[in-house]
Amino acid sequence: MNPFPPEDRVEITRSPIPNAEIAREVRGEGDGAVATFDGCVRNHSHGRRTLYLEYEAYESMALLKMREIAAALHTNHAIHRVAIIHRLGRLEIGETSVFIAVSSAHRAAAFDACRYAIDTLKKTVPIWKKEYFADGAVWAEGELPPVPAETPAAKPASN
Amino acid sequence: MRIKVLYFGRLKELSGASEESVELREGAAVEELFARCSAERPELRKFRASLVAARNREFVPWNTPLRTGDEVGFLPPVSGG
Repeated sequence: MNPFPPEDRVEITRSPIPNAEIAREVRGEGDGAVATFDGCVRNHSHGRRTLYLEYEAYESMALLKMREIAAALHTNHAIHRVAIIHRLGRLEIGETSVFIAVSSAHRAAAFDACRYAIDTLKKTVPIWKKEYFADGAVWAEGELPPVPAETPAAKPASN
Repeated sequence: MRIKVLYFGRLKELSGASEESVELREGAAVEELFARCSAERPELRKFRASLVAARNREFVPWNTPLRTGDEVGFLPPVSGG
């Protein structure tokens, strides 16, 4: 896998995400497209009215997995820069929880990479959200990340 | 050997801790660690089928042997985004 490109921006934050700034930053002079994904907090879930959300993460691992996604985008798509920012803590309705921006010379690569990034993030990055309603709170149903198959020869990996 | 165990999301609530240190026999695998951690926490044990383990920040199968100083996270289904 490629080394993590120094111009990419992968972060976990507890502050509001500066969407416009991030979308601007990924753009270079050779780029003809910037695709962005703005994941935001909606006001309903399974027919119930949501008051707010709380996000938590296994932060060190989440950053590692987000960097792996960014690196995979460069390997598999003809793109320039990647930004992936996820916010933690309490988020109100309408606020951005995750923002992804990908720049490329031509639009198809940016669209494809951006889609892959959010789909993979939702499956593999250890972040959890709790939904708060007027009458209680629940952990959102999530996806179990894929795990390497068991093998009789499984040995401790090097640290 | 000493293992650092981390719990997240609903597992943290069920276990009543976000982090603990567990003493295990040399060579024990992730499965044995979870058995130890859930021995006196039936609510946690019920979640065995719907969680994954990470050893030193990588997802690993349950039969992965551990080494002293390892950090093992027990993770419920992820729901970021």
